[in-house]
Amino acid sequence: MEKLTFEYAATKSVPKRAYVGVVGSGDLEILLEPIEEKKAYVVVRTRFDGFEQIWRDMLDRFFEDNDIAVKIEINDFGATPGMVTMRLLQALEVSIDEA
Amino acid sequence: MKLKDSFVELRARDRAKALLDEGTFRELLGPFERIESPHLEPQGIVPECDDGVVIARGLICGERAVVISIEGAFQGGGIGEVSGAKIAGALERAVKDNEKGIKTNAVIVHDSGGVRLQEANYGLLSIAEIQSAIVALRNYVPVIGVIPGKIGCFGGMSMTAGLFSKIVITREGRMTLNGPEVIEQEAGVAEFDSSDKRMIWDTIGGAQRQAIGLADVLADDDITAITEEVRIFVKEGKPSELRSSQVDLFLSRIKMVDPSKPIGPMDVREMWSKDYISKDVENIKSEAVKENEKVMSRGRIWFEKLTGISNPKVGDVPSVLCTDVNLGDEQVRYIAVIPNPNNRFPRARNGEVGLEEGWTVAKYVREAMEEDDGKEKKRPIIAVVDVPSQAYGYKEELLGIFQSCAGAVDAYASARYAGHPIVSLLVGPAISGAFLTHGYQANRIIALDDPGVLVHAMSKQSAARITKRSIEELDEAAKKVPSMAYDIQSYSTLGTLEELVSGIDGAAPKAEDIENIKEKLSKAIEVTRTSGIRDLSNRLTSEKALTGRAAGIKVRSRLKEEWN
Repeated sequence: MEKLTFEYAATKSVPKRAYVGVVGSGDLEILLEPIEEKKAYVVVRTRFDGFEQIWRDMLDRFFEDNDIAVKIEINDFGATPGMVTMRLLQALEVSIDEA
Repeated sequence: MKLKDSFVELRARDRAKALLDEGTFRELLGPFERIESPHLEPQGIVPECDDGVVIARGLICGERAVVISIEGAFQGGGIGEVSGAKIAGALERAVKDNEKGIKTNAVIVHDSGGVRLQEANYGLLSIAEIQSAIVALRNYVPVIGVIPGKIGCFGGMSMTAGLFSKIVITREGRMTLNGPEVIEQEAGVAEFDSSDKRMIWDTIGGAQRQAIGLADVLADDDITAITEEVRIFVKEGKPSELRSSQVDLFLSRIKMVDPSKPIGPMDVREMWSKDYISKDVENIKSEAVKENEKVMSRGRIWFEKLTGISNPKVGDVPSVLCTDVNLGDEQVRYIAVIPNPNNRFPRARNGEVGLEEGWTVAKYVREAMEEDDGKEKKRPIIAVVDVPSQAYGYKEELLGIFQSCAGAVDAYASARYAGHPIVSLLVGPAISGAFLTHGYQANRIIALDDPGVLVHAMSKQSAARITKRSIEELDEAAKKVPSMAYDIQSYSTLGTLEELVSGIDGAAPKAEDIENIKEKLSKAIEVTRTSGIRDLSNRLTSEKALTGRAAGIKVRSRLKEEWN
């Protein structure tokens, strides 16, 4: 298991917190919470060691597309990059869309 | 035609939502409270923020309810300290509500491999507490189990299912005490071939379990179908008969089985649909007694020395000893499970708890309850515990050994709630389902500080196979997480033991040791009576428990805060 942290500059806020996914085989859970500070903080705990660069690439791209001030916690049980991106977008959608 | 909406495919949280009346779902200890297991990260395992259990309050048919939903995708739904405390704590709150006259229904969605082996003893202990709470709660409301699959319920959680008032299962749900891989590991591939999926489903799958009466309803995997069955059971209220209390019925069914002959799922369906002729049962009884042969074991040595009877009379199941003798000036009942090399069931010849043992323990406990019914002072029951494991075998699973174990759990817990002080004396191994069955429901547990006294959820070999680690890795992990260790010293840090008695050789106790232990048993009985506590809450208030079970205590206090 490896614990990784990432930080991004951010300007826009999101309406509310969101929880998606499950710490199951090939999947991950995401806890997304809005924060006051103009920043995005991400903490990843992942089952597989040695993939920091891939996580960085995925998150760089996600925050490039989505300028949001949030705290994100990810508990990963071996999700593929595609799955990670899908879950991130799902978390964002839940945060914005659902009443 | 409307397509089916799969219930099985739903995650735990959505299952809970589906079972509650629309718009009434309110989660307790939800994801953002981040009450995760403190034991996984130190072992390099990624935790989940809700530890894989969803507790939801809401309404069912307009009535107050709690739904407990286990997430099978996280660590196979395994029960650890936090997830176990969430389940037990929620059930305990529901008991308290009902005691106060506030009717609160309970539904549990089971999707669990049993004890989470990475937390081992925390899981086993939690399961004992979950079972105790279910037995209490069934007096007020039906405790309804939903077993949708994909996992189903295994290990101690299948015994828990054996206590449910009503069970809704799908074809994808499985109920079994020992998983196929574990039986294969313990008993060999000839006993149970874990690669034969067809045979496994035909034996422990939902359709078979319902057909032989170990589940009530076989539902389609459809949200509406399953929620409708649950609503029917809520409306019906508590049933007049519970599976785990029907000792005579199940004992007579098992007596009719000839374990030397092959038996398959369809045979059980046919046999269990008929009424039995008592004469046939009598014939089998006498044969069994004739074959009895004396083998010494720790359990037998302690039973004989404590009771002062060197050749105890045996009933029709010679592997369970039971007798009433005086302890001080009071009559107490001693019960022990011992080896019987001629046991009708070959997989239960070394002191394991098998099909007949579980139900027979239940019989002896219930006998004491019936005889003392109406008396002000109930007879204490002392469980002499030396149980290497439950019996691992194909016939055992086919004939529902989990239900047999649940029968004994039900009897012990019911006796305790009725006011019988129950004390367990650990003189040898107290392992897994066998300990849950015989001993773990006690008010007080006394253990000998002896290397032969062990408490654990699974043998090292099987635990290594299931968690895909080596035995060396398991030993290494046990250094970080004491609940994973096998020795009684590590176990004592959980604060569950009333006393750990040192200086006694468990295999060869001297006369003064026996007197010493008798005094301690008397004291434990007295403390139990004086405390007036009939549930297992005293296990959380010992000095050691404050640190050893800190997470379990925190979960319960948070549940209390958020309950209403």
